[in-house]
Amino acid sequence: MPASASTHGPEDLIGRLSSATDGEAKLKALRELKNQIIGNRTKKFSYIKLGAVPSVVSILSSAVSGYGDGYSNSLLVQSAAAIGSFACGVDAGVKAVLDAGAFPHLLSLISHPNDKVVDAGARSLRMIYQSKLAPKYDFLQEENMEFLLSLLNSENENVTGLGASIITHSCETSIEQKALSDAGILKKLISLLGGSLSQRDASLEALATIFKENPKAISKFVGTESGRALSAVIELTKDKYPRTRLLACICLIVIRNTFPCYLQDVGIKTKLILILLELLDDPGQVGDDAAFALSSLIAEKEDLQKLAFEANVVDKLCNHLRKGPVQAKRFQGILLSLADLCSKLESCRSRLLSLQVLNLVTDALIHDSADVRAAACICLKSVSRSVKNLCAGHFVNEVLIIRLIQLLHDTSTSVQVAVLGAISNIVVDFATCKSTFIQCGGVKQLVQLSKSMDSTVRVNAVWALRNLTFLKDNRCKEGIFLELTVSTLSSLIHDYEPSVQEQALALVRNLVDGCIESVEYVFAEDSLILHAVGKQLQSASKAEVLIQGMYVLSNVASGKEFHKEAVMHELFPQAGNSTQSIIIKFLQSNDSRLRTAAVWAVVNLTFPSSPGAFGRVVKLRNAGIVSQLKNMINDPCLDVKLRVRTALEQFTTSGDGST
Amino acid sequence: MSLFWFVIRQLEEIEAMATSKKVITREEWEKKLNDVKIRKEDMNKLVMNFLVTEGYVDAAEKFRMESGTEPDIDLATITDRMAVKKAVQCGNVEDAIEKVNDLNPEILDTNPQLFFHLQQQRLIELIRNGKVEEALEFAQEELAPRGEENQSFLEELERTVALLAFEDVTNCPVGELLDISQRLKTASEVNAAILTSQSHEKDPKLPSLLKMLIWAQNQLDEKAAYPRINDLATATLEDPSV
Repeated sequence: MPASASTHGPEDLIGRLSSATDGEAKLKALRELKNQIIGNRTKKFSYIKLGAVPSVVSILSSAVSGYGDGYSNSLLVQSAAAIGSFACGVDAGVKAVLDAGAFPHLLSLISHPNDKVVDAGARSLRMIYQSKLAPKYDFLQEENMEFLLSLLNSENENVTGLGASIITHSCETSIEQKALSDAGILKKLISLLGGSLSQRDASLEALATIFKENPKAISKFVGTESGRALSAVIELTKDKYPRTRLLACICLIVIRNTFPCYLQDVGIKTKLILILLELLDDPGQVGDDAAFALSSLIAEKEDLQKLAFEANVVDKLCNHLRKGPVQAKRFQGILLSLADLCSKLESCRSRLLSLQVLNLVTDALIHDSADVRAAACICLKSVSRSVKNLCAGHFVNEVLIIRLIQLLHDTSTSVQVAVLGAISNIVVDFATCKSTFIQCGGVKQLVQLSKSMDSTVRVNAVWALRNLTFLKDNRCKEGIFLELTVSTLSSLIHDYEPSVQEQALALVRNLVDGCIESVEYVFAEDSLILHAVGKQLQSASKAEVLIQGMYVLSNVASGKEFHKEAVMHELFPQAGNSTQSIIIKFLQSNDSRLRTAAVWAVVNLTFPSSPGAFGRVVKLRNAGIVSQLKNMINDPCLDVKLRVRTALEQFTTSGDGST
Repeated sequence: MSLFWFVIRQLEEIEAMATSKKVITREEWEKKLNDVKIRKEDMNKLVMNFLVTEGYVDAAEKFRMESGTEPDIDLATITDRMAVKKAVQCGNVEDAIEKVNDLNPEILDTNPQLFFHLQQQRLIELIRNGKVEEALEFAQEELAPRGEENQSFLEELERTVALLAFEDVTNCPVGELLDISQRLKTASEVNAAILTSQSHEKDPKLPSLLKMLIWAQNQLDEKAAYPRINDLATATLEDPSV
């Protein structure tokens, strides 16, 4: 008569596990424990907390050393099964099992003469290897590779599955990938593709791990038996079992993402999309993973996004969201897939907006799971690339803006970065969004984040501020400027991270753009900001930083006489210095964008109607600018060519006639 | 399988002619049927597949001895699987769970839906036996945490607990949970999961083959009159009705 949960409390059971003296009593207690925890996360946690794992492991270890008066095999099987169950799907369980020293004992079961014992040991180890916490297997040691090969060559399918799981868990670097493929593992895994269900699945996962960003292994695989191995994987995408179909798709996606020339055929691409869509209907983990696989298939690939759009993927994903509460993992995957779809194609964005699911995305911004919140922000960022819909005010409302601002306080950095991305897009060009955002106190929060220790947060915060100041009227700019302060802005220009420097300079560029008063910002507090820009131009090496810096100077040089002279001072810091001016260096740059920015500055500095133009023309000519410009008269970049001509004309007009 | 392809080929031929309904006499039909060669071993494999999947272990053993067809699975595992199935069918769910766990602990650990359905069945049996207090305690201790993990489990749990609210359960809106059919449903779910864990198909091939035959005949009906098989049990050819 099996004992039920209510007759014996957990403490009692653990007591019997450790105190039972004879094999039979131990076995009974072990089975009882095993049957209570299998499938039951709550029970696993409570038994782990009560310290059941070490008791089980000590039964295992004494049975390994032969104890058990005729029960030893059963004790091995039952204790290994209980350990495996503790490790199944619960990281705390894996940790407890490893801490209790179960690993070497389980490993010794693999060479046990009894098949059932081998099965139980291999299953438990596989469970452990499914967790991130499992110890890393060192493939680079010869005896380890031999042991791995012996596992894969085993007749027992649990043991071969274990071999494949070890690869999936532990193979990370390209050196390890190479070692595995040199040792003939690929061939072994290919042969397992024709094996049982569990062997096929395990092999597909291991193959995908070896293929990841490893074109060599892929060519080797694709060349195997003139493409038969690849065909076998393609065939498995039609398998009866959903998980097998999913793993085959993931394997093909890895091949394609690493080696885009394979699987170019439209048929197979569409097929992958359709299979993944169908797998989304699976209520379990397969459905969750399918959403992520879809995202990795279409991310940054416009051809696939187009195909997905034609296959109605937007509608289907939205239907999943509409159907009611979706599990967090799946919700995240679907939002990310939608984000990928909308990242490039306006057709997808319009479709998404017309399906009226935006309120669901807005709700996702306050989801319990940080991953879902971040995914919702990324999705909004993609959708808000639609200038047409943003202008029409189609989706930005106060609720959305307020929620986005609240997310700036989020405890998760990845959410903060994602929400900054969304805000950057939403505030870029549209008066209504900007005012709502400013009224709701968004600027203060952005300024706070621009001082974050995390450089990704910092760069995104400054980016958002930059977009916020784009084409804004001067009153609003002033508000932003006061909040930001001169000292913060100049320290952002001097940030040690070039990407932050770039965004900070772009922010200044936007600040000083537009009406003539706005140029004054860089002259505040003894021209602190202007000097910061000048200093950065002298020392920075990244083209993007220099481009933004030069545009700041161009914008300032479009101002009054005093402004132009200040720019001259930044370009030629020491009077009479014979060293080459930075502006020459920029005019000679390989980057046409930097050349454009530099010529613009020259054009603004030599604008004829201003009184000091003559003096500047002389100074620029002496610095060799004119001869440099003459060399650029046929610049391959049309924009540069055009500005160079304007500049040269101005030299003639304002100059002494010696051009 | 070959029979199926034969019918399909017929279909294609007739389609290519694009005439009005063609009549195929019994003689012509039988002649064509005789040209189709089906290997005895394949037929035997089909039979064995049916016996193994449906769990007729004694018949499978006899058939193996008589025909020499090797089953693709250890026959001993069939006995275990049938014992699990039978336990659920008789309402001994706890016993069934222990047996599944002995067979392969991964099945219920990696299949939350099946695990929930077995626990739900356990609750149903407690309610059936009038053990109200035990049922409530079980629902709270074992099932409620699963409902927290999964919205659809929660709905099913609510439906099941609703059984306790009615005096006359046989006539209540959720009364069908107490039907034998509910046990059979759960039993076949366990059966399928065990088969899958043994890398075996969860459905026998034979019924789907018969379904294909019916489908192909229906397609053919629109194009031709031919000796049809109406009685699948005897597979006699009926004379074409013209």
